[in-house]
Amino acid sequence: VKDATHAVNDAHQSSSIREQDLQPQERFEDELIMHLERDQFVAETARPVPRAALSGRATAGLWALRIFVVLVSLMVVYTFIDQLH
Amino acid sequence: MWLLVGPGILAMLGENDGPSMIAYAADGAQYGLGFFVPFIPLLFAMAYVCQEMCMRVGAVTHRGYGELVLQRYGSVWGWFAAGDLTLTNLVTLVAEFVSIRVGLAYFHLGSVVAVALGLVLVVFTFSSGRYWRWERIVLGMALFNGLFLVAAILVKPHVGAIASSFDFSPFPGGSFNTLLLLIASTIGATVTPWMIFFQQGASADKGMTPRDIRHGRYDTAVGAVLAAIFGVGALIAGAALLTHGGAGIQGFAGAGFPEALKHIAGSAAGTVFALGLVEAGAVAILTISASTAYAAAECVGVAHSFNTSPREAALFYAANVGVALIAAVVILIPGAPLLSIALNANVLATVLLPVSLVFMVMLANDKGLMGGWANKRSTNVIGISVIAFVGLCGAAYGIDAFLQTIHLIGS
Repeated sequence: VKDATHAVNDAHQSSSIREQDLQPQERFEDELIMHLERDQFVAETARPVPRAALSGRATAGLWALRIFVVLVSLMVVYTFIDQLH
Repeated sequence: MWLLVGPGILAMLGENDGPSMIAYAADGAQYGLGFFVPFIPLLFAMAYVCQEMCMRVGAVTHRGYGELVLQRYGSVWGWFAAGDLTLTNLVTLVAEFVSIRVGLAYFHLGSVVAVALGLVLVVFTFSSGRYWRWERIVLGMALFNGLFLVAAILVKPHVGAIASSFDFSPFPGGSFNTLLLLIASTIGATVTPWMIFFQQGASADKGMTPRDIRHGRYDTAVGAVLAAIFGVGALIAGAALLTHGGAGIQGFAGAGFPEALKHIAGSAAGTVFALGLVEAGAVAILTISASTAYAAAECVGVAHSFNTSPREAALFYAANVGVALIAAVVILIPGAPLLSIALNANVLATVLLPVSLVFMVMLANDKGLMGGWANKRSTNVIGISVIAFVGLCGAAYGIDAFLQTIHLIGS
């Protein structure tokens, strides 16, 4: 839970400082997108979004969660196979 | 409103799939109405919180979940997410074919018919070449999920008992591990990784924009309410077997729930439940195959829309059919443990879900993507609570069952 909370807060905080300045621009982009033709819309979505910067703690938390989930998944699979016999 | 109805209802009713309905009926057959009647609507309330985020992120960013995780957090996390999804989808699709097979067995039809029906539906629904038509066909089929409500009425339940069970009592007794299995599989029957991929991908494919978010919320809420009602219907139908199912949940695997219901509540109840299982499996095959296709094509970075032709989006359509085909082959293996596969498919989905949910909450909080549509603090509190609850239940079952299997603890 701590890891998840930290990762979420990190995503929130790391982006919020620079994004506050972009909000009027984003509102304009929202309005623009709503008036695009289908082909223009598809072309707009083909543009990749920029990479987010995750802190070391958030990355470590995500890896810890990933490893934990893989371990529990292996336990479930092992139990399932054992039950088949 | 009619134009915007779709992804939310499809995700929720698609999740009322074969293994889910079998899990609900198994809950009812094993423990009766108490605890699980209010637990199912509570889980769908949790599902609403998660799915609303998916719809909102899809509408604001116009991108699918896999694509966004890959671009925003890097290819490692994107491919992990796609890998989780493919694994759980494959196991779940096997369970969907099992569901169709169990339903058709009631009408003395074999597994070959179940496989053919599932595969023909996958090809038929996307052959129209438009997302809109695909969605309307699947939506029309999904409404037959209401058959479980009809089954519940046909078993003539005691209305007073249903009403009094809303106080979460009596808490289920018996084996701790079986209870954990049923709770974990019930959670996996309500919130799963494929729903996240599907609803965000479908919202983007449908062309939703921030202006449509209010209607998207209605769509998701209606889906959650309908799915909760139909899910409770399956539970009530299963509960009719409570006093007759001394053999426990595995005991129903051979004859199947429809056959067992026929003996207890008459052939009409058995027939309706069997048709419900066919419908639940068929709809889920379509939505889960679609979510796999969205994920595969998004991660590879090629066309991923029902609005493109098979020539333009070869990988998208190949993944759609291919994953269904692999699952179909598995159920043709004689002597496969049907109910065990169905319940464990849900458990696996529950175990893998927290990672998908964490990224979902991160995306929904990302002001760089979402601007003013980012999560509020209250949504984060609920979202993180859901992740903690799902993670705890999945891990508790996985660890407890494993320790029992290797004889470190007793049952």
